[in-house]
Amino acid sequence: MIAMLQRIACVDHIKVDSVSFSSIFQIGDSEQICGISRAIAVQREAEIFYTNEGSFGAYPIFSEAIPFEPMTESLNGSTQNLNPVLKVRNIGIMGASSSSVVHIGNSRHISMEARVKHIRQLLPRRNHVD
Amino acid sequence: MNFQVYNRDICVGDIRVIGVSSSSLLMVGDAETIQLAATFDTPAESLIIGPFVPLSPDA
Repeated sequence: MIAMLQRIACVDHIKVDSVSFSSIFQIGDSEQICGISRAIAVQREAEIFYTNEGSFGAYPIFSEAIPFEPMTESLNGSTQNLNPVLKVRNIGIMGASSSSVVHIGNSRHISMEARVKHIRQLLPRRNHVD
Repeated sequence: MNFQVYNRDICVGDIRVIGVSSSSLLMVGDAETIQLAATFDTPAESLIIGPFVPLSPDA
C-alpha cells in the first residue's frame, strides 16, 4: 500500500490542553484526511445575539470554488530514509480548534480547507468625522 | 523533474504551540500530498455602522 518505506514518529511527551470544534488528535498512521471548517465571525459593539441568524448560503465565500492547480509535470523522485526515526522530545499545544488536526504518524493524502466570513457591527457614531 | 530526497537525522527538542485552528495541521510524520486552502473574507461592506440588524436567518 505504501510505496516507500516511511519513517516512524517518536514523541516522548505530548500535552494538548483542548481539542474542540471537530478537531482531531491522531496518534498513528492514517490514509486520508479531509478537514473543512466554515465560520461566520460576528463582532458587535453591543451585547446582542439573535439565536436564529447567520446563513452560509447568503455569502458566496462559502460556496465559491477555490482554484487548485493540479501537478502536470512528471516527477522522477526517490526518497531514502537514512534515519528512519523522527524524534521529538516534547510537544505542548494549548488548543486545537475548528477542524484542525494534530497528527503523530504518517499519512498519504491530506486536504484541509477553511472559510471564514468576518462581520463587524458598530453603534452609530455621534460625532462623525469626515 | 528529478527529485531526490535523503532524510537524515531529525531530532527536535521542544515544540510549543499556542493554537492550531481553522483547518490547520500540525504533523510529526511523512505525507504524500498535503493540500491546504483558506478563504478569509473581511470586505469593507462587512463593517456595518448603524442600528443592529440581524443577519439573514439560517435556512
